[in-house]
Amino acid sequence: MPSYADSQRDFTEPGEDLPGFCQADTVVMGCGNRLLGDDGFGPAVISYLRDYAPVPKRAVLLDAGTGISRLLFDMALSPSRPRRLIVVDAMRLGLPPGTVSVLPLDSFTPDHTRTFAEHQEPTSCLLKELRDLSGIEVTLLVAEPEFMPGEVSPGLSPAIQRAVLKAREIIEPALVA
Amino acid sequence: MSKTLVIQPVTRIEGHAKVTVQLDDAGNVSDARVNVVELRGFEKFCIGRPVEELPRIVTSICGVCPWSHHLASAKACDAVFGVEPPPAGRKLRELANSIAYTEEHILHFYFLAGADFILGPAADHSIRNVIGIASAVPDVAKRVVRSRHLGARMLEILSGKSIHPVAGVPGGFSKALTAEERDKMLPMAEEVLELAKFSIAFAKSDVFPKYLDAVKTLGVIKTGFLGTVTKDGTLDLYDGVLRMMQADGTYEEFPCDKYTDYIGEHIEPWTYLKFPYMKKVGKLSMDLDNPVGVYRTNTLARINVCDRIRTPLAQKEFEEFRSKFGRPVQLTLAYHWARLIELLYNAEYAVELLKSPDITSTDIRVPVKPRAARGVGCVEAPRGTLIHDYETDADGIVTNVNLIVGTTHNNAPINMSVKKAAIDNIKGGKYDQGLLNMVEMAIRAYDPCLSCATHDLDGHIPVEIKILASDGETVAVVR
Repeated sequence: MPSYADSQRDFTEPGEDLPGFCQADTVVMGCGNRLLGDDGFGPAVISYLRDYAPVPKRAVLLDAGTGISRLLFDMALSPSRPRRLIVVDAMRLGLPPGTVSVLPLDSFTPDHTRTFAEHQEPTSCLLKELRDLSGIEVTLLVAEPEFMPGEVSPGLSPAIQRAVLKAREIIEPALVA
Repeated sequence: MSKTLVIQPVTRIEGHAKVTVQLDDAGNVSDARVNVVELRGFEKFCIGRPVEELPRIVTSICGVCPWSHHLASAKACDAVFGVEPPPAGRKLRELANSIAYTEEHILHFYFLAGADFILGPAADHSIRNVIGIASAVPDVAKRVVRSRHLGARMLEILSGKSIHPVAGVPGGFSKALTAEERDKMLPMAEEVLELAKFSIAFAKSDVFPKYLDAVKTLGVIKTGFLGTVTKDGTLDLYDGVLRMMQADGTYEEFPCDKYTDYIGEHIEPWTYLKFPYMKKVGKLSMDLDNPVGVYRTNTLARINVCDRIRTPLAQKEFEEFRSKFGRPVQLTLAYHWARLIELLYNAEYAVELLKSPDITSTDIRVPVKPRAARGVGCVEAPRGTLIHDYETDADGIVTNVNLIVGTTHNNAPINMSVKKAAIDNIKGGKYDQGLLNMVEMAIRAYDPCLSCATHDLDGHIPVEIKILASDGETVAVVR
C-alpha cells in the first residue's frame, strides 16, 4: 500500500506544494502484498533498509504495497520529479528462488512486461513513460519468489528472506551515489 | 468464422480484469464477459482473532480504499460490542471519510478516467495516459497533485496515518483533534474545496459537452440502484439505511444488518467474483433487453437514490443534474458527473465538520466489553456500498466474517455495460484501439477496485482484448 505515513519523515513540511517523493533525489518503492507470502518481498526490503541502512535525507523509502500506481500517477503529474527511482518487487523469471536481479526496463519483452506487472499493468506503462518522457532513471530490482500462495498467507520463504539481505547490498550504495 | 475479443488488462482500473468479447460469424458481438480473479482467504484469515484487531487488519486487503474498510470494520465492531461512539468520535470518523473520498475521486477523475475525456478516447495510446494529461493541462495537473498531497497530510494530522489507518477503534476514535491541528487543517480543506469547485465547473464547461453523445449511449443499461441515505432521504456516506431502488424509481429501505434478506449472491463458473442481486426478485439475469435483479452501486447509484444533499454547493449541482437527466439516471458515463458532485459534497462537508464546535471534543470513545454477538458495519465506499459482517464468541474472538465490497455489487452491471459497449462499437468484425478503449471506458466509469478481491498470482496484467473465432481459436490479442 502506498504509505504516505511511513514516508512522512521524508515528506515536505506542511505548506510546501508537493509530496516529498516528488522532490527527492532518489526514491525506492517496495511493491507487494505482505499478506501473500513472498509477494511481500518489496515491503520487506523497505522495512529492512529503514531499520539497518543509512538513508540520506535526499532519499525516500516507500512501502508502495499494492498501490504503486497511484504514487506513480502523482509523480507523473508533478512538475518536480526525482532523479532516480528504484522499484523493488517479486517477479517470476524462472530463476532459482531467491535470485535477485537488476533489470533495466528495456530488457522487458512484451511477455516480460506482462509478467512484471504483479500489481497493475499501468505500472509498467507508467514506469516506461516516466523514464522516456520525464527523464527519470528507473531501475527494477526483482527477486524470484518461492512461495506465492493462492490464499492469504503472510510470511516470506527462507529464500526470499535471504534475498532481502542481497537487495540491501545492491540498494545501499545507490542511495549515497 | 466468429471471433472472441479479449481485453486484458483493462488499463487504469484498480486491480486486474480481462474482457472477453465473443464475435459471431458476421463479426458482431454475441457475448462479452469481464473475468476477474478473486483474492481468496481473507475472511478465513480473520477468524480466530480478537475482533478489535479487525479494523487494523482489513486495511491490508488493499491500498486503494483503506479508510472505507477501516470505518466499516470499526462500525461492525461497534455493533458487535453493542455501543455507539460519542458525537465527536463519529464526526472524526466522518471527517476522515470525507477527506479520503476527495483523494479518491480526484484520483479517478483526473488520473484514471481523465485521459479518456481530456485527451479523447480515440487519442493514440502513447499519449492517452497520465503524462499526456500533465502535458495537456500542466497547471491543473499541479493543483491535482497538491490537493491529493493535502488530503494525505490532513489524514496524517487527523489520525497519524493516511494509509493503514488505526485511529478508528471499537466505540469511537482513538485520537482527539486539537484546536491547533484543526486550525492547520482548515485552510488545507478549503483549498481542496476550491479544486472540487473548479473540477465540476471545468468538467461541465470543457469536458462533458464534448462527449455528451458518448454519455448518452456508451454502455447504457437499465438496472436498479443501491445506496445509503438518512431517514429523511439525505445522501450519507457514513451511516444510514440502505435504499434499494428499482429501475422504475420505486424503492424500499432496510437496515444494513438485514442485507442478507435483500441481497442474494449468484455465482458464474467463468469468474471468481460473485454477482450480488436483488434477492426478493428471486433470480439474476444479465440479459440486456430484459435484466432481472440487477442493481448498481457507487456514485451514480447514490445520487439516484438520495432525495437531497446536505451541503449547499453540492445540493445545487445535484438539482441541476437531476433536472438535466431525471431519476433514476441509467447513463453509465453519468457516473463521472455524479462522482464530481460527490467530490464537491465531501470537500464541503470536510470544511463544515472542521468548523463544527465539538470537533475538538475529547469525548470521542466509549469503553467496550467482549460478548458473543453479530455485528454488521456498512459505509458507502467511493466504489460502492461496503458491508462488513462479523460474529464473535463470548471472548470477542471472531468466529465468522463476510465482506461484500463495493465493486462486487457492480459485477453484473459492469458485465452488462461492457457487453452493450462492445455491441455498439464493434461491428462486422471491425475494431481498432479507439473502439476497444470505448469498451474499457464502460468499465472505468464504475471506478472498479478489484484489489479488494483480486490479485493475479500468475502475474498477469489487468486487461487484454482477445479476439476469438467462432470455433474458439484466438485470432488476435489487443493490449
